[in-house]
Amino acid sequence: MRPDRRKFIQQTIRAALGGVGACSALGHMHLLQAAARTNYAFGDYKALVCVYLYGGNDSFNTIVPISGAARTAYDDTRPTGTGLIGLTPGSLNSLTHPTGSNAGSPGDNSQYGLHQNMPELATLFNTGKAAIVANVGTLVRPTSQQDAWDAMYNGSSFPLPPQLFSHSDQTAYWQSSPPSNAPLSGWGGRIADLLTSANPAGVPIMTSVGGDDIFTRGQTAAGYAMNPGSATTLNFLEWGGANGSCAPGGGWDPNQIAAFCNLFAAGTQANALERTFAASMNHSIGTAGVINAAIAAANADATAAGIPGKFPNPGGYDLDAQLCTVAQLIWAAANNQGGLNGLHRQVFFVNAGGFDTHSDQLAQHPDLLTLLSKSLKGFYDALALVGLQDKATAFTASDFGRTMTGNNGGTDHGWGSHHFVVGGAVQGGKFYGNGIGATPITDPQDGLVYGTVMPSLFDPATTWGTPSPNKNDAGDGYGRIIPTTAVDQYAGTLAKWFGLTDGDITTIFPSLANFNTKYLGFV
Amino acid sequence: MGKSVRASRRWARIFVGLCAAGLTTMAAAQSLSHGPDPMFHDKFEGVAAGPYTDSDAARFLAQATFGPTDTDIAHLRAIGYQAWLDEQFAATPTYEITGQTAYLNWVSNTLNEQIGQDNRFEAWLLGAIGGPDPKTNSLIHTDQLRQRVAFALSEILVVSDQNTRLGDSPQALAWYYDILIGNAFGNYRDLLGQVTLSPAMGVYLNMLGNRRADLYNNVHPDENYAREVNQLFSIGLVMLNPDGTPQLSGGQPVPTYLQNAITNFAHVLTGWNWASCDADGRDNFIGCDTQYQAPGDSLTPMLAYETRPPAQPIEPYFDFNYHDNGMHEDDTANKQLLAYPGAAGGGLLIDGGTAAGDLAFALDNIFNHPNVGPFISKQLIQRLVTSNPSPAYVQRVAAMFDNNGSNVRGDLKTVVKTILLDPEARLGQWHDADTFGKLREPLIVLTHFWRAMHAVHHCGQNIAAIGTPGTPGYSPPTSYANQPYRYAGYGTGWRTNGTQWGGVAQAALDADTVFNFFKPSFIPAGEMTTRGLRGPEFQMQTDSIVAHISNTIHGMTLNGEFDVNDACGGGDTFGDIMIDHAQDIALAASAAGGGADNLVDEYNKRFMSGQMSPFMRNNLLVYLNTITSSDGADWKQQRAMNALYMILASPEYMIQK
Repeated sequence: MRPDRRKFIQQTIRAALGGVGACSALGHMHLLQAAARTNYAFGDYKALVCVYLYGGNDSFNTIVPISGAARTAYDDTRPTGTGLIGLTPGSLNSLTHPTGSNAGSPGDNSQYGLHQNMPELATLFNTGKAAIVANVGTLVRPTSQQDAWDAMYNGSSFPLPPQLFSHSDQTAYWQSSPPSNAPLSGWGGRIADLLTSANPAGVPIMTSVGGDDIFTRGQTAAGYAMNPGSATTLNFLEWGGANGSCAPGGGWDPNQIAAFCNLFAAGTQANALERTFAASMNHSIGTAGVINAAIAAANADATAAGIPGKFPNPGGYDLDAQLCTVAQLIWAAANNQGGLNGLHRQVFFVNAGGFDTHSDQLAQHPDLLTLLSKSLKGFYDALALVGLQDKATAFTASDFGRTMTGNNGGTDHGWGSHHFVVGGAVQGGKFYGNGIGATPITDPQDGLVYGTVMPSLFDPATTWGTPSPNKNDAGDGYGRIIPTTAVDQYAGTLAKWFGLTDGDITTIFPSLANFNTKYLGFV
Repeated sequence: MGKSVRASRRWARIFVGLCAAGLTTMAAAQSLSHGPDPMFHDKFEGVAAGPYTDSDAARFLAQATFGPTDTDIAHLRAIGYQAWLDEQFAATPTYEITGQTAYLNWVSNTLNEQIGQDNRFEAWLLGAIGGPDPKTNSLIHTDQLRQRVAFALSEILVVSDQNTRLGDSPQALAWYYDILIGNAFGNYRDLLGQVTLSPAMGVYLNMLGNRRADLYNNVHPDENYAREVNQLFSIGLVMLNPDGTPQLSGGQPVPTYLQNAITNFAHVLTGWNWASCDADGRDNFIGCDTQYQAPGDSLTPMLAYETRPPAQPIEPYFDFNYHDNGMHEDDTANKQLLAYPGAAGGGLLIDGGTAAGDLAFALDNIFNHPNVGPFISKQLIQRLVTSNPSPAYVQRVAAMFDNNGSNVRGDLKTVVKTILLDPEARLGQWHDADTFGKLREPLIVLTHFWRAMHAVHHCGQNIAAIGTPGTPGYSPPTSYANQPYRYAGYGTGWRTNGTQWGGVAQAALDADTVFNFFKPSFIPAGEMTTRGLRGPEFQMQTDSIVAHISNTIHGMTLNGEFDVNDACGGGDTFGDIMIDHAQDIALAASAAGGGADNLVDEYNKRFMSGQMSPFMRNNLLVYLNTITSSDGADWKQQRAMNALYMILASPEYMIQK
């Protein structure tokens, strides 16, 4: 008796989540091909854009208290001075946000601002086009300070994400959010897999610009990894007159083209690594033309030609150039230009590096934030130029936040961190978070509040081996803040906006079932 | 046969006599095998006593050098693996900046050029390509295996010029690389110690300037190096069996350490800084940077700062000892490091030590952990031989790491020899034809091409200095005219890491992060994911990069941009590395009937270790033989150029087997 179709898909997606033997993955892949997928059909176009910040952004110096109880805690924990990392309130860009216990308030009776170098992003927030999702991080289930302490120092069996302060593991977890340590797919890829039916075959549903990672790895959905500006085509096929294609009979010397292309004929190689290399090249050749036609159409259109002008250095390799290319591809897809006809849902991945500020943080961090601020603002403005600002939602992500405490001018690997969501569909100008519903606790001794939307930054000196009185702190004295919002909840909210059903969202984010709140409401 | 076949060498049994000379083209192309012909050996035992064919020799050299050349193949055939290895172990190392004859010292002291990342690339290429020394042409650089192992080590013990401070300090990077060169056949414990105290690593992973906790200012020791020296440079994240497979407990991997071990290591790795911080008699530890650092500090191990400097006003609450030895009130007392059977002192670092003594204890503690052998051995196998070694292969090599036969742990010379002479390295291609091998690294494709095609530097000018050294506007001289062994040029040597104009997106000490250009555990999408096969090198080959690398190869082969017979442009200031297509002209049409068979067979040996499949051979010949004298006076060169591109860009070449 055939198991039902949904179970096929679930089992396959679970296989894609890793931690399952290769044999069963193989078996389930065959089943997936046999079974029909959930049939999504959309009349509109949407794009999801992951802006990944490699290294672990210090969000506590990005979104900074200006006044109130949080400022007091900040001053105490991050003093200013030589070799120290604190920022003065006067240097910050003010944010206009709800206060007190109103919806969208940081919830800690404090006023916040953005780092001095982010006036553009502050403008986006203050005009309701950007939101802050507070204290997001990798969690398997809601985690208290005692839970974390027992697991990290006493080896208890409480489930924490494995290797909490390791770049590679946390990056993998943020991008794939699996229950295992060896993910085979990213959550962007799993979303794209589920939405295959909403898109035409043969065009890339996922595009990574400026670097590729597991976020855009799916099982069936097509991805494309390119440098900003244009997709690299094979000179041999271009200059040989074959128009970048291996189609038989092409080129000024078809025998020459064939001699090269025959060696790449799909699946004919006698070695698995050779077959994989051939597949890489074929994929590159097959997709580059489509991408370049789309970008060319954007550059040729009277209005869309203004997209690059919204970015500081659109001809480079950095985040702004990457988002410029993404904006052009979004325009092309939403307007059925180039080869991107009929795309309804697309997932993008862009990135910036250098956030692992172990030292010289006050010298290094500002430039990184300048790039991020100008890039996100440029992206919003570029889409607004062509009337598509409601169609794309960009969200930041990073390995982890950083320690509240410093070390010789820098910070170390932390855990929870704040992130930005940007776009016309975003309910901006607000703080979101505390998706695990942690109850605010007022400390009777110091009157400071812990466990609201924004976590407490208070880090009083404690005896070595004693957990911090700040219940948001994982307790080891470094000021590593336990997330109060899980990556799954952040991602689930985005997936919901993107159009996935509740059931499918639960399937691709298995840990989401451990949290009471699925959707945080920021978009 | 007459010789007995030992049961353990079961892959020897699969050899079937297919005469190696019988590579005849077959009537129907569809029936041609896409795999290399199995080779006929008349000695089933003693693979380590080979090579027995040119193919054997070339395969070995592909694993042990930066690319086989005809000369090297012939030499290895003449003397055999053992003698070749002994030659390599004895060969003079090619250093970048260490010693009077080192390349960068010649560039700086004799040519009066400034040391930069460009000529650091030149220094690296001199070691990788080999050949005559540019200063003393009679000196020939032959230390290929040492250089190849150093490169492999540089992909495990990673520092990078992508770090801004290191990008400004090519000397520190060159000195760091010399540590890898110098210790490639030495002991891994020495390597760890020297790497740890190198300023380049100190800057890269923040041990430089790391200091004991100061809780008043909420300052804690940084954990970056503590974490990575364990996670990446020695034991990894999970407990391993001797064969490199993860130990499982209840079906789950077992972590090698908990967070508190990293914190404790971080506290140990404190108190080190540039060698000249306090040279002016003051305590400049905090914020000690370029203004206190003497130029030679980039080439000097870090110094421990745990003695109060002279004539220093006494602070009431803080000593000028920056090393956490457990004695200060903010220190961590009695630090528990890694615990494992046989760990000295159970891994407990007692208080009251010196910075150097505590560091030695910590590194010994790491070095003696049972994971190190399989963790490092498996990665070295992956860098040299194959991406998916059998657990048994890993175990054989790890056993040599643990004990080289003379009760020495960590002997890299023995480890390297074991890796290369193991039956799986020598014969694995035949036993596991579908899964053996590794995707060639783009940089090594480049060096192979240059070595095999006798590349030299061509064109370039000598430009006199402008102004006076030390005054504003000074521009040092550059000397690139008639320098065949300065491997330089914007299109070639200096932009090996280029992703737009030339290059292959890879250069030594140039990775984007401490995780190298690719992770050892990377599994590419598609079939290899289904089968659980690792392919680390695939991680850097995105859609754009894979096309870009092919384009670079195209530019150097079919497009013929870099041929030594080309006239030099008048404005060509620096020249480029160029090859000589003409050397193969004689073979292009010398087969019976004017076919290109000899050319293809020669390239098969030179580039593909004789493993070109009958299908590929036939495919190439069918096309090349359509190029005739009616295509121009240079038709034979056209055959060579086409053959070079189609081979070097092909899947069969790109997978080193």
